[in-house]
Amino acid sequence: MTKAYPFEPEEAPPEYRGIPRIDPVLCIGCGACANACPPNAILRIDDPENGTRRIVLDVGRCIRCARCEEVCPTGAVRLTAEFEAATDDRNDHVEIVELRLARCRGCGKYTCYTERQVEKVLSLIPRGILDFDRVREKLPLCSECKLKLTVLNATKFGEVEP
Amino acid sequence: MKSLWVFHVNTGACNGCDIEILDVLIPYYDIERLGVKLVPTPRHAHALLVTGPLTRQAYHAAKMAYEAMPPKPRIVIAVGTCACSGGIFHDSYALRREYRESLEYPLKGGTSEFLPVHLYIPGCPPRPEEILYGIALLKNIVEKKVRGELFREGTFVLPRESFNAWVEVLLRARIRKELGYFDGYSLLRRFMELVESSESKEELEKLVEKTINDEGDSRLRYGLEKLYSYYLEVVRTYEGILAAKRALVGLPK
Ligand code: SF4
Ligand code: SF4
Ligand code: SF4
Repeated sequence: MTKAYPFEPEEAPPEYRGIPRIDPVLCIGCGACANACPPNAILRIDDPENGTRRIVLDVGRCIRCARCEEVCPTGAVRLTAEFEAATDDRNDHVEIVELRLARCRGCGKYTCYTERQVEKVLSLIPRGILDFDRVREKLPLCSECKLKLTVLNATKFGEVEP
Repeated sequence: MKSLWVFHVNTGACNGCDIEILDVLIPYYDIERLGVKLVPTPRHAHALLVTGPLTRQAYHAAKMAYEAMPPKPRIVIAVGTCACSGGIFHDSYALRREYRESLEYPLKGGTSEFLPVHLYIPGCPPRPEEILYGIALLKNIVEKKVRGELFREGTFVLPRESFNAWVEVLLRARIRKELGYFDGYSLLRRFMELVESSESKEELEKLVEKTINDEGDSRLRYGLEKLYSYYLEVVRTYEGILAAKRALVGLPK
């Protein structure tokens, strides 16, 4: 029997690897997916002037290997069962999640990680083991300030505040 | 346009997409219902069905085929991720492509390097339904479903509170080794729900036992048992560290 498909809706089987989607509520902008994606379908674009980071997912470059789903630490990017991705305009394939970069506590410049990443890292520290407030105090530092702090700490005894 | 006669060009595809094009021609999918016919020469074709990432060798043949088509309507349909944007072969030395900055999007490559493309059907390979859908879209039978989206910073949710989030990270790495990401992660989500819904250790133990008994799939049963034993291990380690620290600092219990 011939399928009625384009005239009747059709669902893909549950384990079908359809187009990936990023959930903007969960994504922390870590860029692990951009790192893992074999055909570079996901880009991580930082704008240090305006303090934003864009995670750009291009479904038209995606080979649906699910490497992104495997590495995403928050489960934000998932392969859906959607497969109807044909279009006449390539811009339709692009999904962008724009996130704010964190500001450095030392110099006030934008760091190379997002505010959500800081929150996520803080949320992962189980209470009671580390001194929570001191970690939170030190966390948003840019690489230069971290370097300075390390050098200062190495040359003096005891800890130095940034 | 009522009927679309297509000529199929392979510009260096791995053959996955070509097989799917054969698939849509079989009686089960029967793309000829939509008036599509595969013709053996571009001179009879309305549309060029291009697969593949456009290698340098295939470029000239594809160009000749395009020029041999009647000047109207000269539709170009890119089938497969390779033809849409270069796909997995996007940075191969064998491709004909322009040099460009790597951070431009939508990403370029494939057929659009040399031809104006009228329809993109991504997928690696696209399943036969996707090709059917694409052709139906060209003939205005169905609506377009995908849309470009831009999400700016909005609500942000951390799914779990700190201890459970930490446990989840540790369990994730282990269950991936045991069951792989597909079954492993969904099982982990189920397990974490159990952890969050139970108040005490005894309750969790009962819940996990019940879930294991109800589960029909032996792989998932094995995974659940492993998850539970890892969970207990993590909790034990955490309590051990906490006790050691208390003893060191001399904090009261
Ligand atoms: S890996 Fe996940 S959390 Fe990180 S940027 Fe990609 S989608 Fe967002
Ligand atoms: S499924 Fe594979 S190709 Fe597609 S975005 Fe994820 S990692 Fe990239
Ligand atoms: S899109 Fe995938 S299946 Fe199709 S030709 Fe390219 S690599 Fe092969």
